[in-house]
Amino acid sequence: MSQDACACGSGLRAARCCAIDRASIPRAETTQHLIPVVERALAAHRAGDTATAERLCLDVLELAPDRPGALSVLYEIRRAQGNLRAAEALLRRVVALDPNNFSATNELVLALLAKGDLAEGEVHARNAVRIAPENPQAHNLMGMIMTEAQRPAVGEYHYRRTLELAGHRDAILLANLAWCLKNQGRMAESRALYEESVAAAPEIRQTLLGWARMEEADRNFDAAMAILDRLAVVAPEDPNVDLTRAIVLGRMRRYDAAVALLDSLASRFEGGRLGPNELLEKGRLLDQMGRHDEAFTAFLEGKTLARDLSGNAYLDEQAAVMVARLRGFFTAERLRTLPRAGVRTDVPQPVFILGFPRSGTTLVEQTLSAHSRIAAGDELPLIHDITGIMPRMLASPMPYPEALAELWMGDRREGLDDLRDWYLQKVRHMGVLRPGADFFTDKMPLNETHLGLIALLFPGAPLIHVIRHPLDIMVSAMSNHFTHGLYCASALETAARHYVRVMELVGHYRSQMALRYLPLRYEDMVEDQEATVRAALDFVGVEFEPQCLRFHENRRYARTASYAQVSERLYDRSKFRHLKYLRHLAPVIPVLRPLIEQLGYEVPAA
Amino acid sequence: MISVPVPLGEVLAIAAEFERGGRLEEAARLIAHARGVAPEQPDLLHLAGIVAFRQKRPEEALALLEGAIAGSPDNALFHRNICEVYRLAGRLGDALAAGQRAVSLAPGDALALQNLAIIQYEHLDIAGSVASARRALALDPASPGAHFELAEALLLRGEMAEGWEEYEWRYRIAGAPQLMPPSDKPQWDGAAMGDGTVLLIADQGFGDVIQFARYIPWARERCSRVAIACSVEVAPLLRQIAPGVPIFQAWRECPAFAAYCPLSGLPRLHGTRVESIPAPVPYLRARPERVAAWRARLDALVPAGFRRIGVVWAGRPTHNNDRNRSTTLARFAPLARLASTALISLQKGEAAEQAGRFFGRAPLINLGAEIVDYDDTMAILDVLDLLVTVDTSVGHLAGAMGRPACVLLPHAPDWRWLLGRADSPWYPSLRLLRQDDRRDFGPLIAGLAAELA
Repeated sequence: MSQDACACGSGLRAARCCAIDRASIPRAETTQHLIPVVERALAAHRAGDTATAERLCLDVLELAPDRPGALSVLYEIRRAQGNLRAAEALLRRVVALDPNNFSATNELVLALLAKGDLAEGEVHARNAVRIAPENPQAHNLMGMIMTEAQRPAVGEYHYRRTLELAGHRDAILLANLAWCLKNQGRMAESRALYEESVAAAPEIRQTLLGWARMEEADRNFDAAMAILDRLAVVAPEDPNVDLTRAIVLGRMRRYDAAVALLDSLASRFEGGRLGPNELLEKGRLLDQMGRHDEAFTAFLEGKTLARDLSGNAYLDEQAAVMVARLRGFFTAERLRTLPRAGVRTDVPQPVFILGFPRSGTTLVEQTLSAHSRIAAGDELPLIHDITGIMPRMLASPMPYPEALAELWMGDRREGLDDLRDWYLQKVRHMGVLRPGADFFTDKMPLNETHLGLIALLFPGAPLIHVIRHPLDIMVSAMSNHFTHGLYCASALETAARHYVRVMELVGHYRSQMALRYLPLRYEDMVEDQEATVRAALDFVGVEFEPQCLRFHENRRYARTASYAQVSERLYDRSKFRHLKYLRHLAPVIPVLRPLIEQLGYEVPAA
Repeated sequence: MISVPVPLGEVLAIAAEFERGGRLEEAARLIAHARGVAPEQPDLLHLAGIVAFRQKRPEEALALLEGAIAGSPDNALFHRNICEVYRLAGRLGDALAAGQRAVSLAPGDALALQNLAIIQYEHLDIAGSVASARRALALDPASPGAHFELAEALLLRGEMAEGWEEYEWRYRIAGAPQLMPPSDKPQWDGAAMGDGTVLLIADQGFGDVIQFARYIPWARERCSRVAIACSVEVAPLLRQIAPGVPIFQAWRECPAFAAYCPLSGLPRLHGTRVESIPAPVPYLRARPERVAAWRARLDALVPAGFRRIGVVWAGRPTHNNDRNRSTTLARFAPLARLASTALISLQKGEAAEQAGRFFGRAPLINLGAEIVDYDDTMAILDVLDLLVTVDTSVGHLAGAMGRPACVLLPHAPDWRWLLGRADSPWYPSLRLLRQDDRRDFGPLIAGLAAELA
């Protein structure tokens, strides 16, 4: 391979792949003579002669980098080889060359979905519906993306539309819809659909797996195990079966058995080691067993592997630029010149639960939403969405936050009201609201990045910022996968860096504007639950209700990684958990020390 | 650097000349050169310490001055100077010992006595401070610093007759800001004026202006024509208390006047004594439309039913006693533990940044960022349940409005708060919370929080 091989691993030169200069691409008519070569590559690939197909594709693409046929075949080859980064890069080029290529768009959405890049996945899924509005698969893609993007009500619409267009009750579609309903906490409806799906097609792995996860989430561990037993017969080699079984065993507190199961799984993975999800699960189990050094090793191994496989590392520069622009724009002087949106009194009001991922936002939401007047909105992506649509809504040539400068124009003074109404309308569409609830929560982690914007849109909305010992957050961030915060949790150091950036930004907002802001400590929830819950409800402006103390009985399913914890009674296992991991956390303690002190926590001795 | 065989005494003299002329870098370079030859020479160490102090390196300055004293323990000048450096570093015990040593070594040094008077005031040894200041004045009757120190001590004790007279020396202190451009007109003596205009000057800090503005109606009774020169910030306040009086913010716009008087000079002319302090409270009022706007804003920001406690933790950092009078927001944590309470920050300036780093349990609403002028501050004070502030203009404003406020005072407070008492004859609605000799605001705030719980 030459020195300038593309970093994506496609096998092409960078100048013919990800770093291509559009001007260097020869005109299509000048490379017509290569079409027979592409056809030979296609034939070789169909015949299973991958080596020949690959060589021919590379030859063609070196001369004519925009030959979609060659790109498609090479994509198939790289995908089959498990080289997902290269596969994705090639697929993107196919879609870019032909935006109306439904098949490639479909593949790209599935790839993005698998990678967890829901924001871009949504863009292409919507395009799929535009390309083929009557195609059931187009709606299926939207259903999947919306369900995973925490908008299951929208996802449900598309799944039901898929069923309608398909004209029959396809077993897989039923299972997809069942998963979507499970994510809305509608367990009984979900179960009924799983039963229907399995009755129609008893041996579909994903269906049985999803059903087992649904039962596990609904705390029917025996039922989950029974489904997994059934699945083990269908797919004895599928590592997900044992991974899920290990998760269920863990929830049943049978840690030894769970770890043993995972260890036995390793041999079934490529290279004889567990995948990223399995490694983190193993680490969590070891943590519960008090085997902390081994646990952290598993966490780090899982994070490294995830980073290597996905190519998702912290977008450091992007984060630095974003924070600098927000700090530069949101200053007291400028804020004095900007209008605020009015407060709507005819619709339920948001309560923003802010915090770094893994700081306890799920616990707080579960607690508050146990109240009769507070509905759970979960992680609403809407504030982030508003930052994207703002330039269009305000007719600004500039991006957010600079687009807010349009509010100085006489005909844009009510722009914030429009954005506020857009948010509230989306909330209604997402099925968040429920009768009797005057409030709903929005607990999108790291929404505090946009604290200034939130306060402009909802100047009276309660902002509850969940605070937790930063080192505990780091331990938790290492033991779970999440993509929030520009992939900061792909490594310990970058998680700490992003945490510091965001907390400093919060400090900036708080020093520059008046906010209805309450810091709420996770540790207080553990130590003095009732007083803390009363204070939080007081702050929201609702009477205390005793069921908020029994949030674990709140049958609402929290969709985030914390769901297992919040369905248990409040426990203090996670409080100051970092003390068990000091040796591993040592590299980030100097970075976090000022914040630890500022927050009033102890900085552990070296 | 090339070694030049210049006698040490001459090097010292040149370096001292540079130091006096404010050429500190050159002085430091010369001293460093000389110390290469005589590293422990006490006079050099002393001068190096003075330069380091003026270059805002107090720790280094103290180390150098202590070195000078170790080498020459009976040099009164060294003790006199380290006294002030210790004081500004907050090492008050060391400052007092140094001040006393300087005076014992040089009982005829008026400046040593003046420094001792200052540090005695800080120790709340007011009798000692008065005695030292009087001894200094006996040696140097025209020392403005000693007169001013005597004034502060006397006024703090409530001895206003002599205190006001001594207070008149404040504008003669070296480096004091000038009251006004040079003028051939006399200072008003308090006698009734005919047609001539008396120019009242809103001098000193904003708190002083608010405090002494109460005398403007008294002055207007004696003068048919009054004009006021003031900064833009306090103009709205003075317009309230002196409707119809021409108010100017630039000297070039001032009308011709027959006499002038700083507002802080009016109590002397009025003949104010503790028992006759005029307190026509409220003499400042919030504007109704601003009150309505801030009430609506606070109703949106503060949960219904929450007690609203305003907080101010720092004054202007350039105030000469800011080190003692200001604290940090973190010290207000006990108030943040009160149930159903919101802290409302009215803090302005650099210290306001602390609002972003405060994680007390009560919500902290940082209105300081949105306050534009004193009209805003007054409107907010109108809708608060209580203000808790260090000794700043906001405390004066609450007092002038008759709003409830607790003012946190350092161990040795400004003279206007008098000694010992929890009330203020200047402002009946204020409650004074005084530091004890631990010089800590923490116990005061904790005690107040316990009362409010």
